[in-house]
Order: sequence, then structure tokens, then C-alpha cells
Amino acid sequence: MTPFALVTPSSVDAAIAELRTGAPGEVVLLAGGTDLAFDLERPGPGPRRVVSLRRLPWRTLDWNGAVLTVGSTLPLRSLERDPEVGRRHPGLLEAIRAVGGVPLRHRATLGGNLGRAAPASDLLPMLLALDAEVDLVGPTGARSLSVDRFLIGSRRTALAEGELIRSVRFPEPRPSTYLWQRVRPANDISQVAVAAALSPTDGRWRLAVGGVPPRAIRLPDAEAALRSTTPSETEVRDAAERTAGHLPAATDQRASGEYRRHLASVLVERAVRSVLDARAGAEGR
Amino acid sequence: MTGERLVLTVNGTSHTMDDVPGAERLLDTIRWRLGLKGTKEGCRSGECGACTVLVDGASTLSCLTLSHEVDGSSLTTIEGMANDPVGRTVQEAFARAGALQCGYCTPGFVLALVGLLRERGSGASSDELLADLGGNLCRCTGYLAIARAVALLQKEEA
Repeated sequence: MTPFALVTPSSVDAAIAELRTGAPGEVVLLAGGTDLAFDLERPGPGPRRVVSLRRLPWRTLDWNGAVLTVGSTLPLRSLERDPEVGRRHPGLLEAIRAVGGVPLRHRATLGGNLGRAAPASDLLPMLLALDAEVDLVGPTGARSLSVDRFLIGSRRTALAEGELIRSVRFPEPRPSTYLWQRVRPANDISQVAVAAALSPTDGRWRLAVGGVPPRAIRLPDAEAALRSTTPSETEVRDAAERTAGHLPAATDQRASGEYRRHLASVLVERAVRSVLDARAGAEGR
Repeated sequence: MTGERLVLTVNGTSHTMDDVPGAERLLDTIRWRLGLKGTKEGCRSGECGACTVLVDGASTLSCLTLSHEVDGSSLTTIEGMANDPVGRTVQEAFARAGALQCGYCTPGFVLALVGLLRERGSGASSDELLADLGGNLCRCTGYLAIARAVALLQKEEA
């Protein structure tokens, strides 16, 4: 570990200026710090400047009609405790609760999770299934990217030099669920996780899988098997089989590729059924 | 490298510390600068919960938190639980249920549980509280006695 200076800019412009004082890797951003902290104590060369975002006014949660906008530095626990989030985005609540434990979620943030782009993040599959958009701000102004375009690979994102994640936008509430398999319920990383959501506006399913390095991915082949908002048993089984057939799941210390493909297939089937059951329950009330 | 001034209120007492490096962890500030050894270092990587303290009432892993990130905050450690009504009740429940053996994880469990009780009031069930304690590891008890301590607390609140 190399000693570093911790700086705490109090405006967005000052934070952008800080980022441009050195090469990426020399200057890093700190949101909740729960993932970064681990790296900061690693032996070997580290950043010489850590830019804390804690003074920026981004610990926000706003509903504008159906659109939910979450500030990038809002602690996950605040998002989890908002009753509207759980009611309108049930899968997002489940995914948040899969991250660390309560004390970790008091500091961890959505922006940090995106910016760090951990290969096994438990939030990114759900963000993909909800078609979340990432709002960025940088030296040349603001722009937005889909999570799919924002994520490039393991620990790699489309953030340009001097760019910050300001917020994450969820365009519409969706019946959704997040299912995972791992060794320990809390403070662990999923071997495989599946996010499923059904868009009420276009009637199409979104399926995404996580815990499969190098990054969370959508499953377009499996999605295509689900041809209506109420797919038949055969269609659901077909989606599960296509998942097993197409998943590029690597073998690593947490699980074998074969086990991951099997798990993903089982979880896709369960996730779709779970969304259908929850919807039937809601309509029955 | 020299650092900046850090001000923390710890268990009700204000502490001003000079030259605290930016890389210093809250866990190390608590144990080595303030000498409060009740907060334990377990994994130092956010997996065990032994280092849990309250920062402005919210349970926090002090091993993953840079001290300056909580500058100006009010901190509660296990040493502050003796004068805290909720803290005393939780500790008594742990003692009555025999919810500890070696005791290393206990300060983290007590602080995490006190944080949950403050956050959720009396509305949470034992099962919900235990699920939310999932971030705390205990290698001795097998968790059954800890579950009994949580159940005792629920009984007292009823």
C-alpha cells in the first residue's frame, strides 16, 4: 500500500477538477468505500489521491411520476428502507438486500457499485433487467448511458476522464424478482444470480444473470422464448434451457462453469414463475 | 505523511485529533488512537461484522470506513453501551441466553442489534432481526443462543 491523500471537494466542478490531477488509477473516487477500502490496503502500488464524494448533494431519492431517480451517493440502506421502492420495484429491493449486511449497506452506494463494476455485483443484473440509465457529469457536460453500455467488463466502465456518476434512473416500476445462490446469505458474493422483470408498457420480459465473470449480462435468447406477459409452461422451460445453452459461464474459485449454467437455468425458471405468481397475487387482491 | 484534524464525538465525549492520515481506518482510530479495545478487528475486509460501531446511530463496519469520511460524526462503541438503555437490555439478553462463548464477535453483534432496534422500533419480528444480523459471524455458538437472545428481547418489548 502506498500512502495517499484524501481530498473532499465540496462542489461537482471541484470533484471533476480533482479527477484530472492524475492518470486513472493514480486518482480514484470514493463513494461508500466498502469495495474500494479493500483495494486500498493491498500490497503494491495504489492511488496517490482518493477523491471523496461525501460533500456532493447526491444522497437523494426522487419519484417523478413513475420514474425513480437515485442519487449516486445515497446509501443502499436508505433505498432499501423506502417503502415505495419495495412496493414498485420488488426485485430491486431483493437485490439490494443481497449486498453485504446491514452495516455494509449503511455506507455502500448504487454509484459506487456501478463505478467499481465488480464482476459479481449483485445490483448490476437487476439494473439491467429494469433498463436503468446512468446519468454522468463531466468536463464536457452531462450525458446518460444504459447500464448495458456503461458496463464494459470486469472493473471496466465507459466513464471518460474526469466523469462522475451523478444518479441512476429507473424508467418504470416493473413486476420483478432477484434470485441468487451462494454459500452464505450475507456478506458473500453470489455464484450465480438471476434478475427477471416484466415491462408493463411493452409487455416484454427482461432476464439478466450475474455472478458470471467478467460482467452481468442480459439473456436475449431466453427472453425471446417468453412470447407473452403470461408465457406457457413450455415457454418458461424453453427460456430455462436456452439460458443453460447460451451462458458463457467461466469456472473460478466460487463455482464451475457447468454448475453456473445449471444454476442459471434453474433460477431463470423460478424467477419467471415468481414474477407471474406475484402478479397473479396482486391482481387477486 | 501528515494528515488533517479529525473531530469525533465518541460515546458522548468530543475528541479532537491532529495529523490523522487520510488512509487511517475508523477501526484503528478507535482502537489505537482512542484506546477503546472493545471494538474488535476480525477479517478487516467487511465479511465478519466484529468491528461494527454506530455512526450517527447507523451500524457501520469500522474496518472499511476511512476515519475522515465520518469527521464530525457521533460514534457509539461497545464501551458506550453500559450507559445506553437499549444497549443494556441487549447485553442482558445476551448474558441470560448465554449468547457468547469466546466473546470476540459479541461487541459487533450488540452494536448491530442496537442499531436495528433503533432503526426499526418494535415492529421487527425475531426472524427479520436475525436475517438483518446475517453480516455478523460467530464461530462458537452456532447462533442458536444468539437467536434465543433476540427472542428474549422480543418478549420484553411485547
